[in-house]
Amino acid sequence: MNKLKAVIVKEILILSRDRAGMAMLFVMPVFLVLVMTLLQDSTFKQLDEKQLPVLIINHDADTFGLKILEGLKSSKFFKITEVENIDKQDFVQKIEKGEYLIGIIINEDATRRIRQSIQLNIQQQFPEEVGQLFEYEDNASGQARVEIIFDPILKSSYKQSILGSLKHFSAMVEARLMFEIYSGLFKDLLSIELKPTSSFDDIVNFDEKYASSGTNKIIPNSVQHNVPAWTIFAMFFIVIPLASNIIKERHSGVSARLLTIAGSKLISNLGKGMTYFVVGFIQAILMLFIGLFILPLFGLPSLQIGGNGLALLVVTIAVVMAATTYGIAIGNIATTEQQSSIFGSISVVILAAIGGVWVPSFMMSDLMLNLSKISPLNWGLNAYYDIFLRNSGLIDLLPNIALLLGFSFVCLFVSFLYSKRGLN
Amino acid sequence: MEEKAIIVIQDLLKRYKNTAKNALDSLNLKVKQGDIYGLLGPNGAGKTSTISMLCGLLPPDSGEIIINGTNLRSKPDKVKAMIGVVPQEIALFEDLTAKENLMFFGRMHGLKKDEINRRGNDLLEKFSLTEKSNKRVKTFSGGMKRRLNLMVGIIHGPEILFLDEPSVGIDVQSKNVIIEYLKEINRSGTTIIYTSHLMEEAEKFCTEISIIDFGREITKGKPSELLENNKDCENLEDVFLKLTGRNVRE
Ligand SMILES: Nc1ncnc2c1ncn2[C@@H]1O[C@H](COP(=O)(O)OP(=O)(O)O)[C@@H](O)[C@H]1O
Ligand SMILES: [Mg+2]
Repeated sequence: MNKLKAVIVKEILILSRDRAGMAMLFVMPVFLVLVMTLLQDSTFKQLDEKQLPVLIINHDADTFGLKILEGLKSSKFFKITEVENIDKQDFVQKIEKGEYLIGIIINEDATRRIRQSIQLNIQQQFPEEVGQLFEYEDNASGQARVEIIFDPILKSSYKQSILGSLKHFSAMVEARLMFEIYSGLFKDLLSIELKPTSSFDDIVNFDEKYASSGTNKIIPNSVQHNVPAWTIFAMFFIVIPLASNIIKERHSGVSARLLTIAGSKLISNLGKGMTYFVVGFIQAILMLFIGLFILPLFGLPSLQIGGNGLALLVVTIAVVMAATTYGIAIGNIATTEQQSSIFGSISVVILAAIGGVWVPSFMMSDLMLNLSKISPLNWGLNAYYDIFLRNSGLIDLLPNIALLLGFSFVCLFVSFLYSKRGLN
Repeated sequence: MEEKAIIVIQDLLKRYKNTAKNALDSLNLKVKQGDIYGLLGPNGAGKTSTISMLCGLLPPDSGEIIINGTNLRSKPDKVKAMIGVVPQEIALFEDLTAKENLMFFGRMHGLKKDEINRRGNDLLEKFSLTEKSNKRVKTFSGGMKRRLNLMVGIIHGPEILFLDEPSVGIDVQSKNVIIEYLKEINRSGTTIIYTSHLMEEAEKFCTEISIIDFGREITKGKPSELLENNKDCENLEDVFLKLTGRNVRE
């Protein structure tokens, strides 16, 4: 225990005297997170505002109208405002004035009309001698109608987008109604009671694949992206002081000297790992603190860290482990301090770029998005997104945590192999 | 009765990876308790390799090393607990002070804080580093570093001390202080194995000498015996040159 303490004290003394290293670990990330968050704030806001303002009147208080409203509302791409009791002229005017880019009017009896059309179609499938299967309502004849009014400035891709969504929802409702009608028929004709399918919505999935601009990537705000991104970036910069520390010890002969002292090498490695691990943890706390309390002072939103403290802790541990072991690996592989600093910093910057630290992955092309998955920084970042934005629990985070820990394991294994080098 | 051999090296063989010749070629050595044993030889003779194997840093290809009755191969940690090592290079933390270095390595040897302070202050005084004891090693001169390098190797008062060229690159004053101190701890029971290529120093300092070259022993004996056996030589340096040749080495 005393030995371990001595190692930790030694490491802290050395690190605290390394001004460049300390600046890199603590000043740089603070600076980066402030600057990048402020810089990107407006960009992220624009992304947020890509939600199209849509005005809706729903005259059909039945399945069709309700489902369409529900579907559009659940989409991140439309900002739905529902109005009742409004003059059609007033309604159109709101679109003309540009208050809303799209107006949608769902006419009365839409659901009943759809139902009736389906019933008529079914009737035609049966031979005439079966007779009339359904009772038709007079006022429900004709097609169901949805009127769509576009602002002329609207780009056609957005038009496609809303039309696509509407058609999608409407197809879903038609299928649902058809199912209901057939169920009724089975009951009337054959006295077979079909159970209601609770999973009907799953069959016809509310999959948000829109005709154009849509994807289902989550979009964080500038703070939610930049705080975890630069925290991870900073944690990985541990690689540089840590690797150079290891190489220094090897070159000076301290490392060999420790090998001549019974049982001290293992303790020394352990103490070193623990010290840098704690440093990474302190970085994370510092950055969280900045996200929570300092960024709001600059007029930015405060970081929402979600409610899962345990998940946050575990993910942070996994990221720090990955960063620390990566540093240990580079320290063992590189032969000179210069090599380790250059390789360490370049590799971290590249992994950060690929991993969506600089440009978030939701802005990436599919190619880059796939490429981003090879970066440990991306695993960490996605895990933080999951916690901050999706409020995910540990189970959902498991894949990313496992990747980070697997990466750590590989790094340690490689370090072990390389540490045997020279002892031949 | 023959004095007890504290170190026995039998048929030590070592060839480094990707090299053509053996660095150590069946080396045999016996060091008696209380000796100041000089392992002498030109550059590349195999001195450092021998010391590295003696302190368990480098595994031999074959051969046995027995220290104080314990086989190094089977119980390395037991052997390591008996030895102190002063390596050829300055194996110190440049960013720590002299005291912090002593404290760290003392702790690694399992010493208590008070003990380290007591012994450390003693050593700092002896080696005239008291004034600099709170300065970082990187501000030290070569001689100061070498003295501290030595102090770190003996902070725990080992029974057996290995020194690899301890007097390289330092001024006469530092060298004298070091030699005098080593004689002092030898008198109080420490067996010393020391390598050098400086024959004059060895002649005055060592009780036993072994001259090695190309990883093999060329001759051994007390300094006086070596001179006796080589009547044509005036001093050990002549003996050394006669036996190892005048070609320039590595
Ligand atoms: N790590 C190594 N790899 C390959 N050859 C080495 C290594 N270390 C030493 N040698 C070679 O082994 C021989 C003995 O070296 P060394 O023990 O350092 O000699 P000395 O300490 O007497 O100068 C030399 O020929 C040297 O070049
Ligand atoms: Mg040597």
